[in-house]
Amino acid sequence: MNYIIETKNLTKIYRSEGKIVKALDNVNLTVERGRIFGLLGPNGAGKTTLMMTLIGLVMPTSGSARVLGFDIIKNSVEIRKRVGVLPEGADFYDHLTAKQNLLYIAALNGINKAEREERVEKVLKIVGLEDAKDRKVGGFSRGMKQRLGIAQALLKDPELLMFDEPTAGLDPEAARTFKNLVLKLRDEGKTIVLSTHLLFEVGPLCDDIAIINRGRIVLHGGVKDLAEKFIAEEGYKIRVQGKGDIGRFANAILNLKDVRNVRVDREYILIEASKDVRAEVSRLASAHGVEIVALELTVPSIEDLFMKYYKWG
Amino acid sequence: MASVSVIASKEFSDIIRSKRFIILLSIFALLMIAAVASTYISATQGIAAPTAMPRGFLLSVASNLTSMMAYFAPILGIVLGVDAVSGEREKGTLKMVLAQPVFRDTFINGKFLGTVAAISLAVCIAFLVNVGGSIIALGITPTGDDAARLFLFLIISIIYAVAYYGIAILISTVSKKTTVSVIASIMIWAVFTFILPIIATMVVFSITPIRIQPGQNMTITPELREEIRRRITITETVNMFTPNYHFNRAANNILRAYIGAGFMPEGGATSGRPLQQAIRAVSIIESLAMVWPNILVIALIAVFTLIATYMLFVRQETR
Ligand SMILES: Nc1ncnc2c1ncn2[C@@H]1O[C@H](COP(=O)(O)OP(=O)(O)O)[C@@H](O)[C@H]1O
Ligand SMILES: [Mg+2]
Repeated sequence: MNYIIETKNLTKIYRSEGKIVKALDNVNLTVERGRIFGLLGPNGAGKTTLMMTLIGLVMPTSGSARVLGFDIIKNSVEIRKRVGVLPEGADFYDHLTAKQNLLYIAALNGINKAEREERVEKVLKIVGLEDAKDRKVGGFSRGMKQRLGIAQALLKDPELLMFDEPTAGLDPEAARTFKNLVLKLRDEGKTIVLSTHLLFEVGPLCDDIAIINRGRIVLHGGVKDLAEKFIAEEGYKIRVQGKGDIGRFANAILNLKDVRNVRVDREYILIEASKDVRAEVSRLASAHGVEIVALELTVPSIEDLFMKYYKWG
Repeated sequence: MASVSVIASKEFSDIIRSKRFIILLSIFALLMIAAVASTYISATQGIAAPTAMPRGFLLSVASNLTSMMAYFAPILGIVLGVDAVSGEREKGTLKMVLAQPVFRDTFINGKFLGTVAAISLAVCIAFLVNVGGSIIALGITPTGDDAARLFLFLIISIIYAVAYYGIAILISTVSKKTTVSVIASIMIWAVFTFILPIIATMVVFSITPIRIQPGQNMTITPELREEIRRRITITETVNMFTPNYHFNRAANNILRAYIGAGFMPEGGATSGRPLQQAIRAVSIIESLAMVWPNILVIALIAVFTLIATYMLFVRQETR
């Protein structure tokens, strides 16, 4: 398979002031085309280091990686020519207008003069900043700067986009606008890599995720597959509240095929099963003369999955 | 791929539109005009020059031109270099630029080029205000030799400003924070401009204490002459470590078309007889021969600081 990003034992060790930090520890990662890929992990996990390494601004200590088929060490300029990046903590020139900033970045990308103006207008429109284009960036709000940051990344009409902590510090409204834009870009066929420590805000947006912690990838895959596997591992949890001979009823449930475990807690029966066995439980109830007061199923959520790995390390 | 010229022209236009550049240039232009006015007043009131040297354009403008440039060039260089790297790093604009297909060396070279162009422009403007003002005020047209000397002075001034820019941008590149860079640059400037000369004087006094007693007849004995020579040598040796000394020596000699040496009259200074003077013209070539080592030192400071900045910057990682 031809991945848009592929890393092989990518390792980065920072040495500063006597301290040694393994920011990336043998990272093996693949990103498929046309997907929203979430790089999730707590602060200091190594997300920014990974992104900066992928565009050649940070040199790996060992290992290798290819982005769009280009080697990150030998051909990083080719990568930056083709990848729209919004680095964490990057900012614009305050004394220039939004448009002037974008025109400069367009020039840095080698977009020829005749085309620059048109491209700039186009991306300003995409992010909804046409009305503010002639205002100095110094007076922009955080949300506006973030939109301009995305506009900047879109200037070269890239196949691959990388946004580092794009929703940090945004109000919910702006975050929602951002998410809609990302979905739209994905539907246009672009690949978007998002990094974030805001697990619950961005996580559900992703098609694929990798959870990184202390420089190590602890979970990697498609969100759907991961969720199915997680549910299979964790199982379905069913809570039954009944009136009658609970003890015998519980024993009978334990004998059901897909039931792994049953616990009785006063009038409640807590069932762990590998399938949804509510129908069978109902049938058994009538057979045992138990009146069912409540029958609840809890499916483990994707959030539960994230939390399990987030706490790792 | 981004060429150096894109970055250089942005840098240049940013600088010449910046408040600090315009304010600095305005202040010095005003000072230059004030200096020209004082030259004009002394000329029209016929206040004689303290020497018997031939009066000419250079003699009228040289002293205020050099003393003004001796302050303007370093301050200009420092103001433009002090946050050149640390400022963009702190703000995050460096990261934004380097996330584009731009090599680190392209960025720093573009910055050098744009700033050196702006420095040249500023020094030229300050120079033209002074020289042009003097031409109008004095009504004297510089001779061809004058013009050649003034041109050389202009070049030396630009190199001098670039040397200070090099020092400041080097500090800015190694500093984690702009505030640290500002403090360090100002300290270095103050050391070169005020502190080392003071130290030089102190060293002289501690090594060769004054032996002339008040009331003693000021006859130039061979011992006294030797002592004066020693003092000058010591002062110069200490000051040799400042770019300022080299600039002053180069500028003063380039703008001096005549050399005069004063001799004590017979019977000493208290004899009542006038100071004897021998005056002779020096060609521009002679002047250059005298000061080229000084020009070389300033140029080397400029080149080495810029090369060091380049090497450090290219090796740094983007955080
Ligand atoms: N230039 C650097 N020098 C030393 N340590 C660094 C440097 N950059 C990052 N680190 C360290 O590497 C680890 C990963 O940092 P980072 O990639 O910024 O994480 P994240 O983006 O996930 O918050 C952290 O422990 C951080 O302190
Ligand atoms: Mg980060």
